[in-house]
Amino acid sequence: MTDDTTDDGEPKTDGGGTGIVAPDDETPTWRERKERTEGLSRLTYEYFERARREDEDLRRESDYVERDVLAFPTWPHETVRNLALTSFFVGMIVFLSATLPPHIGNPANPNSTPAIILPDWYLYWSFGLLKLGPLNPELAILGGQKLMADRTYGVLANGIIVGAIAVVPFLNKGSARRPVEQPFWAAVGVFGIVLAFTLSMLSVKNLMPMNVDLLFDLTFFAPLVAGFVAYAVLKTMREGYMYDLNRRYYRLRPPK
Amino acid sequence: MADEFIKGLALFCGAGLAWMVLAGWYRTPSFESSRQLIAAPPEPGTVFDAIGIFLNNVFFWTAIIGALTFWLLVPAIHRLRDSTNAS
Repeated sequence: MTDDTTDDGEPKTDGGGTGIVAPDDETPTWRERKERTEGLSRLTYEYFERARREDEDLRRESDYVERDVLAFPTWPHETVRNLALTSFFVGMIVFLSATLPPHIGNPANPNSTPAIILPDWYLYWSFGLLKLGPLNPELAILGGQKLMADRTYGVLANGIIVGAIAVVPFLNKGSARRPVEQPFWAAVGVFGIVLAFTLSMLSVKNLMPMNVDLLFDLTFFAPLVAGFVAYAVLKTMREGYMYDLNRRYYRLRPPK
Repeated sequence: MADEFIKGLALFCGAGLAWMVLAGWYRTPSFESSRQLIAAPPEPGTVFDAIGIFLNNVFFWTAIIGALTFWLLVPAIHRLRDSTNAS
């Protein structure tokens, strides 16, 4: 730990250690930590500890300028992780299709429109935007008439939402690695996600077991509430839990 | 803190999944109705149906009470104990 730090003990971003791989004299070996455990956890721990150690040794030997982005090799680390994730989702699909098999109805009759028409679930939010008729103002200047049809209004609402999403990357570069670093933008994200969910609920309003007017109000009220709560929670977390670690990661980030 | 959170989340998701499946069996007259997962269960015809309807309620309350316990009750008890120890 001699040449890896500046005088004040802070890790440097290049030329020294990254601060992510702890030095030998501070890191308990896997044997110390896991001496009495057995089986797969012990094997896994030993494997990663060895990989970490080899990584550290290579790092110390090389005269290559340190990058501050650490990565594991594709095989086996990434592959094993990806297999675990894949197994989970395949298992979930098998479980749900076995326990809740989708109902297969009669063959479609092209001569009659079904009572319930829905797009695929990931387009429900867009479908919900087509049901914003109550927001379409009846203008007194037009003698109580609407400026545009409700369906035109819904299509324009889609354009506004897509436009807002397109503008966000220009306002925020996304340099935060976790929500607590930028509570405001995290709250904006929570607002968007909850709005997508509530719009989806609005799009299936004829299947929702609640008052449709209440559902319509909640569609726009619930995202605001969720956004404010997220902002308050994250703002509170900033001063507490692991915030030092976050600042440390900030310092280790490559310059923009 | 994080440990309590993941315990609550595991209970919420696991019991919630089991509740959803059993409610899909017993409390969903049609997937095109507005009373999905919450309709009144039918009178159990067999002992297996009775067990399923009973477990449906068990999983529902496990999800609710389990999450509330680990997210609210246990942290509140810890906070209370810390404050009494400090004073």
